[in-house]
Parts: sequence; C-alpha cells; structure tokens
Amino acid sequence: MSRERGPSRRVFALGLGALFASACDRPARPAGEVAFWFSYGGNNRKVLLELVSRFHREQSAVRVVPTFQGDYFEGLVKLRTGLFVGAVPTITHVVGEVVPYLARAGVLERLEGVGDAVLSDLEPALAQFGTFEGAEDEPLVALPFNRSTPIAFFNRTIFRELGLSPPTTWDELRAVASRASLVGEEARWGFECPVDWWFWTALVGQAGGRLVEDGRITLGGEPGARALELWQAMVHDDRTMRSPPGRDFNAWEASNGDFLAGRAAMIWTSTAFVRYLEENASFPVGAAPLPGDVRRAVPTGGTFFVMPKGLPAPEREAGLAFLRWMMQPQQASEWARRTGYMPVSQAGRRELEATGFFREHPNFKVAVDQLSVAQRWPWAPELFRVQREAVQPRLEAAVSERLDVRKVLAEARLVAEAG
Amino acid sequence: MSLRPTRTFHPYAMLAPTLAVLALFCLVPLGVAFHKSFFAWDLLTEPEPVGFGNYRALLASGELGELIVRTLAYSVVVVSASLTLGLALAVALNREGRFYAFVRSAVFSAYVVSWVAVALLWLWLLDPQAGLIARVSKGLGLTPVDWLGNPRVVLFTLAGVTVWKITGYAMVIFLAGLQDVPRSVLEAAALDGAGPWQRFRYIVWPLLRPTATFVATTSLILSFQAFDIVRVMTQGGPVRSSTIFVYAIYEQVFVNMRVGRASALTVVFFVLLLGLTGLQWWLWRKSADSRVAT
Repeated sequence: MSRERGPSRRVFALGLGALFASACDRPARPAGEVAFWFSYGGNNRKVLLELVSRFHREQSAVRVVPTFQGDYFEGLVKLRTGLFVGAVPTITHVVGEVVPYLARAGVLERLEGVGDAVLSDLEPALAQFGTFEGAEDEPLVALPFNRSTPIAFFNRTIFRELGLSPPTTWDELRAVASRASLVGEEARWGFECPVDWWFWTALVGQAGGRLVEDGRITLGGEPGARALELWQAMVHDDRTMRSPPGRDFNAWEASNGDFLAGRAAMIWTSTAFVRYLEENASFPVGAAPLPGDVRRAVPTGGTFFVMPKGLPAPEREAGLAFLRWMMQPQQASEWARRTGYMPVSQAGRRELEATGFFREHPNFKVAVDQLSVAQRWPWAPELFRVQREAVQPRLEAAVSERLDVRKVLAEARLVAEAG
Repeated sequence: MSLRPTRTFHPYAMLAPTLAVLALFCLVPLGVAFHKSFFAWDLLTEPEPVGFGNYRALLASGELGELIVRTLAYSVVVVSASLTLGLALAVALNREGRFYAFVRSAVFSAYVVSWVAVALLWLWLLDPQAGLIARVSKGLGLTPVDWLGNPRVVLFTLAGVTVWKITGYAMVIFLAGLQDVPRSVLEAAALDGAGPWQRFRYIVWPLLRPTATFVATTSLILSFQAFDIVRVMTQGGPVRSSTIFVYAIYEQVFVNMRVGRASALTVVFFVLLLGLTGLQWWLWRKSADSRVAT
C-alpha cells in the first residue's frame, strides 16, 4: 500500500494559526452599524424595537442592530464575558449598581460626546451626576434611559369594596394588608412584594437609614433591621404578605402574576410595569407612592446606557448618534408614555405634563412625583458585590426563617467589608 | 491480515484525535481552573494571587460542606429512585402487545423532552395556588404542599422531577438487559417450581447486575450535572436549599463575579467525582471478583 503524504507540518501550523487568529479577532462591524444588546421584555421590548425602526426611518447613516440578552443580570453576564473575550456590543444597558464596578475596571467609554444639549436636559435625580461615592468629578460613563422607582399597585375593585385607601405609613400598610387578605377557598394575599434588595433599600430609607454612611457600609444599621422586621411581622404574625418564590426577576414576575390573577390585592413593583399591568388586568389598576415610616424614601432603579471602551472611532460615533437621538425629549417621553418608566429628559417630562398625559393617566405620574423623595445610590465599586453577595442572598432566609435580623445584617456587613 | 501495529506510534496516532479533544475540552480547562483557583479574579480586572484563600473561604463559610451534602442527597434520591422505578417498569412492561408498546413509549417520551420544557411543565403543575396538583389536593380536601417554596421539600421535588424525566431511560436499558436473560433458564426454573419472585431474585437480577451498574453510573453522572432544572425552577432557592454543585459554580462565576472561587469549587467537584467513580469502580471489581470466586 502506497503512503500518501498529507499536508506538511508548516501548512498545518499556518492553518491552526489562522484559525486561532480569526477566533480571537473581533470582527469589524460594517460602517455605521451599532450593535445594541438590550434586556427589555414584553411590551417594553416592542416599544424599543419600534423606536429603533423610527430611528432608521429618520436617518440612514446609522443602523442599529438590537439583540435581546435576557434579563438585566443575564445581560450583565454576557457583557462581562464579551468584555473578556473582546466581543462587545457598541451599546448596552446595565443596572446602576454595577456602573461603578465597571468604571473602576476601566472598561467603559466616556460619553460626554453625546453633547451638552442632551446632558443639560437630563433629569438630575435620574442621571449619573453626583452618584459616585466621595468623588464628584468622575467622568460621565453612563446615560439614563429606562429609570424607575418602586411604587405600589392595588386592585381598585377590592379596595373600593372594602373602603380602603392606599397606605401612607407602615402601620397603615399592615392594616390595609390585613383587611384585604382572605383565607379559605378564595384565598388572597393582602400584600405581596419580592424580598429583594431594591424593596429592602426602600424600607431602609423609609426607616431613616442609609446603606453607606461616611464611606462605611452600614447597611442601614438599626433601620436596616427594622425593615426586615416589618416583612417578618407581615409574613409570620399577620400572615398577610406573600414573599413570591424565585430569584431576581422570577420573583417579580410571580408577584405580577398573582396580582393580575386576583391572588394579591396590592403589590410593590417597578413603575416600569404600569402599562403592562393596566393592559393585562381584568380590573381597574391603581398606583400609589410607597408608604413612609419616619420619612418617605425610595431608591431609583432601572438601567443606564453604557459603551465599552476601545471601540473604533466610527463605531463609537455611530453609537453616540443613536444615544443622542434616544435622549431627545420626543423619544424620552414616548418611551415613558408607552411603558411606565420615568422620562429622563426634563423637556420630555414637561411635554407629558403640557399635553395632559399625566392628568389622563395618573398611574404614570406616581413615580415622577415620588422622585422628590428618591435617594441617590452610593455608587462605589463594591456596591454591586454588596448587593449580590452580602445582602440579597441573606434577605430571603432572614424573612422566611425568621432569623435574628441584627445577626443577619452583621454577617452581611462582615461579608461586605471582607470584599 | 494482522491487526498488530507495524510501527510503535500507530496506536498513539489512532488515539491522538480523541486525546486531543479530551485535552482541549477537559484537561486544559481543568488545568486552567486549578490555576485560577489560587487567584481572586472577576474577568475584568487583574487577577490577584490569594493562595488557598478561595478554598479557605468556601470551607469557612460552610458553603462547601452544605453543597456536598445537598448534591449527594439529590443524587442518592435520583439514582435509587430511577433505578428502582426503571427496573420495576421494565419487568412490568416486558411483554408483547400494542398496549405495552404504547406504555413503554409514553414512559420513555419524557426522556426525549428538553430539560427546560420539563422544568416549565412542572413549574405549572406544582404551582401552590394555580397548579394542577394543588387544585387536585384542594379537591380532595388536602392542604396543598408548597413543593418549590418550602426549603425542606424543594430538593426532593427537584429530584422527583428528575426521576420522572430519566426513568424512561433506565427502563429502556433494563428492557435491553432483560432480552439477554435466556428464556430457557426461566422456563426450567418455573418447571422446578420457582415462583415469579424467586425467578427474579435468583436468575433475572444476577444477570441484570451489569446493566444496573451501567444505569446507576449514568444516572449518577446525570444527577451531578443537574443545572437546567435548578436554573429554571428554583434558581437555587428558597434560601439556597436547592443550590447544588454545578449551579453553585455558575452562581460564583456569573452572579458573584468570582472566577477564582468558582474554579476552586470546580476542582473540589472534580476530586469528589473522581473519588466516587473510583469507589464505584472498586465496588464493581470487588463484586466481579467475588462472582468469579464463587
């Protein structure tokens, strides 16, 4: 049998080298193309895609390619992996808590290029200004778009039948939840709220605390403990609150589902769900600001647009052009009007007021009005780890197993400080 | 034609493609994981050497012990239940006829459905308020169990769903094993007065032991690899009560951004699996030796 000579070693080595080189190089995008990774689902996704279509109709120089990447945290996983392997989008959006971490890692592009006209019109309470803990002059790396606060949604039919009003204090919250609860065949929870960092932060603020004080992670101190005790009392003593199962947004979806099915008379969730809940409920939906304890307070939520550092200049400019367009009052107000998020443009908000939109749709105005008591996040590189590793995993156990809340928070503080 | 290799390197050349794939996808990643387990790293910033810090943190927090106990508990339920049910179904359905063929197909069909679809189906069935099982329970006057919301129950619920999905596979393997049991031996035993149980105990089961070992091994591997079902149904909760090994590795690297700690978990997981495989192999050899001796 004759032996055929295969390709020489040199050819094999060259082929292998070419294969690795092609796998490692980030493919250049066509001129004017903007890869946009987003995490909006349902109605919000539909509205976003329609905005992108309109952007394409209004100009032809920039083409945006939106790609759904799962929820915020799944999207973040993909962004980090993409940053590591050098396969990044032109634009994406991340939760506020993660911005300082990404900024410290040096992976975010400065966004001042979006223009002074845009920046001066941004709603200050929703933008990056003054958020970095202990550093006022951090470069601008994040632009707000879908920003929210937690609000209360209630079933108007149930509330009317029982003669209830939305609670304005913690005591009223317990009383209303108790009145609205039903046991037996037609069991119904008076109140439902994901036992989640965001809502706990709201309670900490209402009890008079702050997560970081004088640069030290306190997790609210005594108010942090009182926040957990309120949930414990409603779950175990009053038996009027359901803590929905599931992690992160799975729990949020469960609580929305219970509300729409009439299994919960009142829920706390994001203002982002105003449109969704109104359109999918078989009963009139009411919205109200969160109650207060020693004061009224809410955190802001939602995400900021960010751009990975090191993109080719034309791609960066194309991305900025799209961001500039999205930040304009018309788009900002359309986004707010059709979803429930707050308008990040001051002119956009004024437009909604002037056209009577808020008068006709009062549920949409609740979060905007509540912005006056919104507390700034203490943006520090550790904030995201404090949230995900120190606090969030402990909240559920503290409430469901009725643990000693002061011990739980002391342990969380130790983990947070250990870094 | 002789099958003996003409050159010394021929066997190695034949093995090379498999070894290359094994090295690229198993050994190299394992080596990288071992190396990274000595660093604190989040993919984005420079890795910082921490020595055995990741292992110490996992031990000190109690996470490692909890994970091992939880994963073993889940695996024991999955392996023992799928083995028992698969064998029982195989023996019961090892008959001719359209009805038995239909039932065999129905039982096996769960195995070909994707994990995500199975998880979503059971999420709906197990919903404590709107789920089918809760409605039936209420109809019977029973208090519905919160299958996925009760930390004491949830791990066994997940194990039950896993058993439901993989029992069809065990059944098919046992059915194949049953085809190898000589009918003449069974008939002879029946003529000698052996009842159904005695025939199973003294003839069928000893001949099925290699099949059972195979089913146990593959079920064990499958149970240790469980991820999708946890990700979709519980996300490791409530209160981490359903966080098993592979999900914990995912959580460390993708949720907590701790590549080093995830790598340390991976190394421990590898050592644990190596130990269990070695134990299984030793038991199998011991049992084979004892059979030869008798």
